[in-house]
Amino acid sequence: MVRCTKFREEDAPQSALNYLRLAMKTVSKEISSWISRGVYIVFGMLLLGQRPAVAQLYNGKELVKAVLISDVSAIQPGQKFRLGVLYNITPGWHIYWKYSGDSGIPTKIEWHLPQGFKADDLQWPLPLRDKEPGDLEVFDYTSEVLLFATVQAPDVLPPGPITIEAKTNWLVCQSLCVPGSAQLKLDLGSGSSSASNAVQLFDKYSAQVPKPLANGIQAQFNRNGKNLEINVSGVPNGEALDFYPFPPSDAEVGHVSRNGSKLSLSIESEAKPIDQIDGVLVVGSGDRREGYEVGGAGAVPSTAGNATTSTVNATTSAGFSAVLQALGFALIGGLILNVMPCVLPVISLKIFGFVSEAGERPQKAFWLSMAFALGILVCFAVLAFVVVLVRATGAEVGWGFQFQDARFIVSISCLVFAFALNLFGVYELSVSARATQGLAKLASGQGYGSAFFQGVFATILATPCTAPFLGTASAFAFAQPSWITFLVFMFVGLGMALPYLVLAVKPKWLRFLPRPGDWMVRFRQFMGFLLIGTLLWLVWILGQMKGVDAIVKLGAALLLISILAWIKGSFWTPVSSARSRILAAAAMCVAVLIAAGVYSFVTRPSQLVWQKFTKDSLEKALASGRPVFVDFTADWCLTCKTNERFAIDTPQVRKAFSKQNAILLRADWTNGDPEITEILKNHGRAGVPMYLVYPRGGKDDRPTLLPELITSQTVLDALNKS
Amino acid sequence: MFGKLLLTCGLLVAAAGLGLAETEIGKSAPNFSLPDTAGKNVSLADFKGKYVVLEWYNPDCPFVGKHYKSGNMQTLQKEFTSKGVAWISIDSSAPGEQGNYPPNQLNAISARDGAARTALLLDPDGKVGRLYGAKTTPDMYIINPSGILVYKGAIDNKRSTDLADVKTATNYVKVALEEVMTGKPVSTVSTQPYGCSVKYSSN
Repeated sequence: MVRCTKFREEDAPQSALNYLRLAMKTVSKEISSWISRGVYIVFGMLLLGQRPAVAQLYNGKELVKAVLISDVSAIQPGQKFRLGVLYNITPGWHIYWKYSGDSGIPTKIEWHLPQGFKADDLQWPLPLRDKEPGDLEVFDYTSEVLLFATVQAPDVLPPGPITIEAKTNWLVCQSLCVPGSAQLKLDLGSGSSSASNAVQLFDKYSAQVPKPLANGIQAQFNRNGKNLEINVSGVPNGEALDFYPFPPSDAEVGHVSRNGSKLSLSIESEAKPIDQIDGVLVVGSGDRREGYEVGGAGAVPSTAGNATTSTVNATTSAGFSAVLQALGFALIGGLILNVMPCVLPVISLKIFGFVSEAGERPQKAFWLSMAFALGILVCFAVLAFVVVLVRATGAEVGWGFQFQDARFIVSISCLVFAFALNLFGVYELSVSARATQGLAKLASGQGYGSAFFQGVFATILATPCTAPFLGTASAFAFAQPSWITFLVFMFVGLGMALPYLVLAVKPKWLRFLPRPGDWMVRFRQFMGFLLIGTLLWLVWILGQMKGVDAIVKLGAALLLISILAWIKGSFWTPVSSARSRILAAAAMCVAVLIAAGVYSFVTRPSQLVWQKFTKDSLEKALASGRPVFVDFTADWCLTCKTNERFAIDTPQVRKAFSKQNAILLRADWTNGDPEITEILKNHGRAGVPMYLVYPRGGKDDRPTLLPELITSQTVLDALNKS
Repeated sequence: MFGKLLLTCGLLVAAAGLGLAETEIGKSAPNFSLPDTAGKNVSLADFKGKYVVLEWYNPDCPFVGKHYKSGNMQTLQKEFTSKGVAWISIDSSAPGEQGNYPPNQLNAISARDGAARTALLLDPDGKVGRLYGAKTTPDMYIINPSGILVYKGAIDNKRSTDLADVKTATNYVKVALEEVMTGKPVSTVSTQPYGCSVKYSSN
């Protein structure tokens, strides 16, 4: 299994302890890379976790009714449409603006959009300034308000109906306050879009959203001691003038007062010196109020306190720091690739080659290494491109490359397991020498061009060792956006190329390089266990999604993969004869067919309807006068399951049951129900299976007790006896 | 002379016209005297030489409820009263407004909640609330042994009624007390309080 390659003796390594230290470090980094990847994905899934909608009734009344609406009834690719939450508020009560004022909390909306959809900032219609006793001022909405955002649909719509969800919470107050929340959903189709009948609502509230300063109105800020003054010009005399502030969450402001064309408010506390504040300049009063946005565009420093919207997309694509972490781990992963048996021996060879080619000019060695590294990077770029392409075409065809898709999880699990088997050495992957002949020619010789092709060649030749890792990475990359995929692969390539770059500059450091040996193979085998760990995590996800049965089915698939891997490893190797290979291929086909057959037979849904067995249900069944068939079974009882599959759930028995209008009762003894234990004892049995057939006519007749191993005929005979 | 008098009078009138005064960090906290639930008069001056926490309180406000139902407020009260801090809760709800209860009912509520405060004072005409400029329940004020106000504002940084937020929030009061009691300067002296509005009488 180990390919012999020539390598030069180098200075003896400093100590075996160094190897151990290096190996431990790399192993723990690999583990944490997988774990953190898992954590991010699980975390992403938790973010999507929905909490049930809370119905808030106050004195039997629902104070706020919230509903999710859109101004279109169907969506077209790339379309912009408006999405909003319409709040219907009981008279006398109010909910709050994005800055609530002295008390209250701003209303919050969190969009849960399908993949690719992006929402702009939430739009807030102009609120009312309300005074509460104790000279408290708040900014609120009464009776009805629509808070909305413009949403952009992606150019490629996900298949099927489009479901948009939103979570909103609010505080509704009269003289007292009641918090509330709602989980909202809206189903939109895709197709020819038409305006929905909510368009008027959107237009009405859109008109109430403050606009940028216009009509010749200007506002100048001026900080004067504790007060922030706003000098307003362009407003006719006699017009009402007001300012609704939207201060940063780490500042506290007082009430706005007016003196002619000057508005001022006191800054009670500020984290950073404030000489300008965001807010809305309000001109006019009553229904004729006009609001104008004042302050920097995007100068809204909102922390968790004042953040009013957040968008959660339905993919698990990483946040910025998560991306940095992923890139970090990608780099480390690339470095680890150098430790593989196919790669490590080559490093010192190449370095010496470059150093000797450079001769008098040590600088040249570095540049030769750069060319080599470029070759490596180009290979990885191509790989990333292929992954992105496959993903894009797959998306067109409708494959769901997402962790929410059980099929994706199953596919990745099989892939990861297959790669683990490769690492363990059950079978090997190889690169055909003929295919790379042309490349080998380009790679021979001196000069930068050759160095480049040598880089490409080395990467391709390393495939048998790197495939499990890169294959797994590619599989996970299918669930990520293209740019992340591209970046990650480039960083892996960078990690792989790094030793060459470093060592070409400092060839002396070659002595720190671990000496190739048997330990490389053991290390590679050990990596297989890490992949099994990843598999365990995937199995857990699948179990959460689909339950125990899905896990068992996956297990069966993995068993099949083990068999195929063994066939490949034993009979289809680069050194096996043509006959051996053909037999191997045939054997694999047969194995797959058998598996498929067994699978479809075993997972065939049962067409029989069973009722739960209790003393009462038995009495009721007997009282009906119909024949009754009772199946005493347990999940762990293999005989029971076999009987059920092969004797009871057969076409003839099914027909007989329906013809005789039999009632089917199932007594499940999986957890040791004492009532069932008693009945088993009454019939002289210590355990399951047990079958009782009560003939037509009622409870006077004693039931027929069937043997433990039954056939369809046994059941039919017992039924026909009645 | 006469002009100065006029100016001072004018300022006093202006100050009286304001609904709410504002207390300032670094300045003396105004003294007051209010009855507790047993009818005994309690003044701020009684606690000179001790740290004092003023907690504006309304048992029916869901924001106050968040801190009492989660046990957060009681834990704080126990922790700091055992360190010699005087924890004074003040109920400024006007008669007929939410949170205004007769003293024995307030005692029953305190017993049910397991509150460990030094005193619960009744301020039904809202004069102390207005004196301090208390806006919400809860609204927290920390006064040092020399009578200087060292913190005013919110109890923590999660402005919600969600009990789950208590565990993950930064509790400004706890942090400020720990800092000032170990001689360190208070890192966050003033924050915007959150909660239900204090139910002053509407006149």
